Amino acid sequence: MLDGFEILTTSGVVLWSKSYAPVSSSIINGFIKDVFIEEKVLPGASVADDASASQNPTYKKEQYTLKWASVKDLGLIFVAVYQSLLHLTWVDKLLDNIRIIFVDLYRDQLKKPHTSVVECDFDGYFDQQVKELEGAADKNPQRAPQVTVNDLTPPSSSDNGIEGLPPPLPGLAAVSQTGQLKKPHNNGDSTDITPVSTPDTSRPTTPASHILGGKAGPKSRRAKKAMNAPANASSGDERKGKPKKDTGKKMRRWDADGMADDDDGTVLDYSIQSPDEDGMHSPEINAGIDGIDMQSAGTRTGKGQYVLKDLDSEVHSILEGANEKKSQSASSSSGVVGSSLGVISGLFRNVIGGKVLTKEDLAKPMRAMEEHLLKKNVAREAAVRLCEGVERELIGVKTGSFESVETTIRTAMESSLRKILTPTTSLDILRSITAVTSPSNLNPLSPSPRPYVISIVGVNGVGKSTNLSKLAFFLLQNNFSLLIAACDTFRSGAVEQLRVHARNLKELSARESLAKIDLYEKGYGKDAANIAKDAVSYASSNNYDVVLIDTAGRRHNDTRLMSNLEKFANFANPDKILMVGEALVGSDSVAQARSFNSSFGARRGLDGFIISKCDTVGDMVGSLVSMVHATGIPVVFLGVGQHYGDLRTLNVGWAVEMLMK
Amino acid sequence: MAWTSSHSWLASLMAPTPLALTIGVLLVLSIPLFLHFVIYRSTTSTTLPTFLLVGPSGSGKTSLLTLFERGQPATTRTSQTPLTVELSLPLTTPAASSQYRSAADPSTQFHKKFLLADTPGHGKLRHHAFDTIIKPQNLKGIIFMVDAADISTSTSTTGAAGNEALRQTAEYLHDLLLLLQKRANTKTSRAPPDIPVLIAANKLDLFTALPAPLVKSALETEITNVRNSRGKGLLDSGIGMDDIAGGAGEEREWLGEGGEGKFTFGQMEESNVQVSVVGWNVVGAEGPDVQGWWAWVGENL
Ligand SMILES: Nc1nc2c(ncn2[C@@H]2O[C@H](COP(=O)(O)OP(=O)(O)OP(=O)(O)O)[C@@H](O)[C@H]2O)c(=O)[nH]1
Ligand SMILES: [Mg+2]
Repeated sequence: MLDGFEILTTSGVVLWSKSYAPVSSSIINGFIKDVFIEEKVLPGASVADDASASQNPTYKKEQYTLKWASVKDLGLIFVAVYQSLLHLTWVDKLLDNIRIIFVDLYRDQLKKPHTSVVECDFDGYFDQQVKELEGAADKNPQRAPQVTVNDLTPPSSSDNGIEGLPPPLPGLAAVSQTGQLKKPHNNGDSTDITPVSTPDTSRPTTPASHILGGKAGPKSRRAKKAMNAPANASSGDERKGKPKKDTGKKMRRWDADGMADDDDGTVLDYSIQSPDEDGMHSPEINAGIDGIDMQSAGTRTGKGQYVLKDLDSEVHSILEGANEKKSQSASSSSGVVGSSLGVISGLFRNVIGGKVLTKEDLAKPMRAMEEHLLKKNVAREAAVRLCEGVERELIGVKTGSFESVETTIRTAMESSLRKILTPTTSLDILRSITAVTSPSNLNPLSPSPRPYVISIVGVNGVGKSTNLSKLAFFLLQNNFSLLIAACDTFRSGAVEQLRVHARNLKELSARESLAKIDLYEKGYGKDAANIAKDAVSYASSNNYDVVLIDTAGRRHNDTRLMSNLEKFANFANPDKILMVGEALVGSDSVAQARSFNSSFGARRGLDGFIISKCDTVGDMVGSLVSMVHATGIPVVFLGVGQHYGDLRTLNVGWAVEMLMK
Repeated sequence: MAWTSSHSWLASLMAPTPLALTIGVLLVLSIPLFLHFVIYRSTTSTTLPTFLLVGPSGSGKTSLLTLFERGQPATTRTSQTPLTVELSLPLTTPAASSQYRSAADPSTQFHKKFLLADTPGHGKLRHHAFDTIIKPQNLKGIIFMVDAADISTSTSTTGAAGNEALRQTAEYLHDLLLLLQKRANTKTSRAPPDIPVLIAANKLDLFTALPAPLVKSALETEITNVRNSRGKGLLDSGIGMDDIAGGAGEEREWLGEGGEGKFTFGQMEESNVQVSVVGWNVVGAEGPDVQGWWAWVGENL
C-alpha cells in the first residue's frame, strides 16, 4: 500500500496530496534536494520527453521508496511514497496515468501566470486509479497491469451508482455544469466495487460512512477556512458576489435532488463550502475557473452519455485521448508534407524564437556543445552527462523570442554548469576553523576547543606538498598556529621536502612575527595512520590551532594503498579531507575523484578539491567540472602558480565564463 | 517649362485640400495616442511593483507567499524555481504612493496591485534571487526570511561545526546586503531607487525561536564574523572580472563603513538600504500572525 502521493510544483507548492500514513516532510524535501537540485542521483541514461515513471531512477530514503514522474513545461512533479519492504509493481503505471489525467484536467489552470492556486477536486480520480491498478495487480500478480481500452469499459448498465440516481434529468444536467457532480457519483461507485484504496474498506461499507471517512481531512480544513473567511472578506472584491450567487443557486438545486440520495450530508457540505473557496481568490481567477468548468462540462454534454456515466469512463477517455495523441504525433511526423512544412516553419522559428524544441532540433547543436566541452578538457563522461541533462531539460521547451536554439542551449548549459560548480554550503574555511578552535563561550553546550585537522590526499606528483604549504602560508597569515604532519612515509624525499617548506614558512612567520609553525615527523616506513593520530594528540596538548596532514601519493587504482586510507580517516578523524587534482589531467580525473571519494569508508568522503596548476591550462579548466560532476564535491581552492601566495578560491562566474568562451 | 511644372506639383501638394488636411489632422491626433498605447502596454506588463522573498531554504518563504495568496498557507516542499504571484493591497492599508491623493479620489478605491516573487533558498539556486536584484524591474523591497527557531543556539547543538544554521543565514544575508551596497555605489547616470530590506524572523510560534531583537543581534554579530573572515580570505579566481555578479572586481568590497569593528544594520543606510527586523509566524496553532507585513508593503508601494 502507498504511504502517500503528492503532486507538487517545482516552485515548491503542493497542489494535491493524499496521505495514507504520516510521512515526514524531510523525506520529500530530501528527495527534491538529492534528485533535482544536487543531482546526487543521476537520472537514467534515457532522454525522453517527460519519461515514464519507470525510466526515472527510484529514490530510497530511510525506510521509504519514492517513485516519481514529472511534466517539465508545467513544472510538475508527481511523487509516490511507500515502504521499501513492499513491492508495488503498479506504482509506475499509477504515476503515468495520474500525470496524464491531472494535466488533462487542469492544464489551463496550471498555465496561468502569477498564481500558485490550482483548484483541483482530484480525490475521486486518484482513488479510481488506485483501485483499478491495484485491483489489476492483485488479479495478475505476474505482469504489471496494462490499461487497455477493453478492460476499462465499465459495466455501466449494472452500475448501482447510476441506477440509484434521482430521475429528474434536467436538474442533473444543470448541476453537472458546476463540475462537482462527479464527486458523489464516484464515491457511490467506489463502494460498490470493492475499493482497496482506503484502509477501512476491506469490509463492505455504506456509501455514507465511506465518504465521511475519506473526506474528514478536507472538511476540517474547510471548516478552518470558513472561520478565516471574515478576515479575507476585506481583501475581496465587490464583483465576487456575482459568481458566488450563481454557484449557490445551482448547488441548492442539487441539494434538493441530493436529499433523495443517501449521501446528502457530504454533498450539502460540499456545496456550501465550494463558493467560499472560490471567494478566496481574485475575480480573474474566479472567472477563469468558472470558464473552464463551463467548457469542460460543455464537451462532456456534447458526448451525451458521458455526463451520466461515472468517473471511470471519463478517466479512460482521457487516457485513451493521450494515447491517441501520442500515436498521432508519431505518424504525423513521418508524413512527407507535414515534415517539410515543419522544417520550413522550424527554420523560421529558429530565427524569431517561440519554437518548441524536439530531440531532432537539439541533436546537432548538442553535438557541437559536447565537442566544445571536450575541447575545454571536460572528461567525456561528464560532457556527455551534462549535455544529456541539458537536452532533457530543453525538450518540449519553447525558445524565447528572438532566441536561436544555440543560444537557448548555451544559456541552459551555463546555468547547469553554474549549478554544478556552486557549492551547497559555504566553504569559508577560516570560519570553520574559528568555530572549532575558539567556540563561542556564550553557549554552555558548545564543545571545548581543539585543533582543526585538514588532510591532503591525491595521486602522485599532483602537488600535494606544494599546495599544503600554500594553505599553511594562508593560515599563518591569519595567525593560526600550525602543525604539519609528514605522513608520507613511503616516497623517499617526501619528509625532506616538507622540512624545507616548514623551514621557509617558519622564517617567514618569524620575520613578520606571526603564529608558530612546526613539523611533526617520524621518518619513513611507519604506519601513516598512527603518525597522524599522534600528531593530532600532540597538537591538542601543545595548543596548535590547525594540523595539516600530508599523505603519500597513490594511484587511484592501487588497491593496497587506497585501502589504507580508510584506517587513516578513522585514526586521524580529519575535519576536512581535501583532494589535490591536476587541472591538466583529462579523462582520468573522473575515475580519480570517484575512487578517492569512496576510499574512506561508508561514512566518510572527500570534503573538497584543490585543483592545482590552473595557471598552466588557460581557459581549459574542464577538469574542475569533471571532478565536481563525478562526485558532487565542491572545489575549495585553486592553485595558480609557484609562489606561496598563489592560492585562490573558486569564482563560479569566472569558471563558467572560461568554459563557455 | 520645367520649373512651372514642378511649381504646380509643389503647389498642389501644399494646397489646403480637404483630404490633405484631414490626413494631417488624423496623424497629429493619432500618433500620441498610438505611442501612449504602445508604451503603456509594454510597461504595465513588466513593471508592476515587485517585492522579493529571499532567505535560506526552509525558512518559510513559499508558505508566506501562499498565505498571502489564499489566506492560509499551503503545504510546501523545497523550491527549485522562483514563483511570482499577483497580490493586491487591502483597501484598509494606504499605499505610500497615494498619500497625496484625497480620500475621495476614486483611484484610492481600487486595489493597489503588486507582485510577490518567491525564490529558492537552496545554496545552489540563489542566483535566481541575485539575478533579480541585479536587473530589478520595479523592485520595491526585499523580505529576507529567517527561521528563528533554527538559528537559536539552544536547539542546534551540531557539535564541532558551531551553529551552522546561523552561519549559513548570516552568510546569505551578508552577500545580499553586499550586493545591494554595490548596486547603490555603481556610478550610473541616475541613482538606482532605494530598496528597503525587511528581515522577518519567522516561526515565532515555536518555543525555541529567538525573538526578533535577538535575531537581529545574532545576525549582526555573525555578519561581523563573516565580514572579518571574508576580509582575510583568499582572493578568488575571478579577480579582474568586472561585473557586479562576478564578485570581487578589482578591489575587495566591504560591507558597511570600512569593515572595521562590529557590523550593524544601521551601517547599511549609507547605501540607502533601510533594514528593519520584525517577528512573525506563517504557520502555527493559533493561525498565522504576520503583523506589520501589510503596513510595510503599503509604506513601500
Ligand atoms: N512552526 C512553523 N513552521 C513554519 C512557519 N513558516 C513555515 N513553516 C514551515 O517551514 C517549512 C518550510 O517552509 P517553506 O515555505 O517551504 O520554506 P522555503 O523558505 O520556501 O524553502 P525553500 O523553498 O527550500 O527555499 C514548511 O514545512 C512550513 O510548514 C511558521 O511560522 N511556523
Ligand atoms: Mg520555497
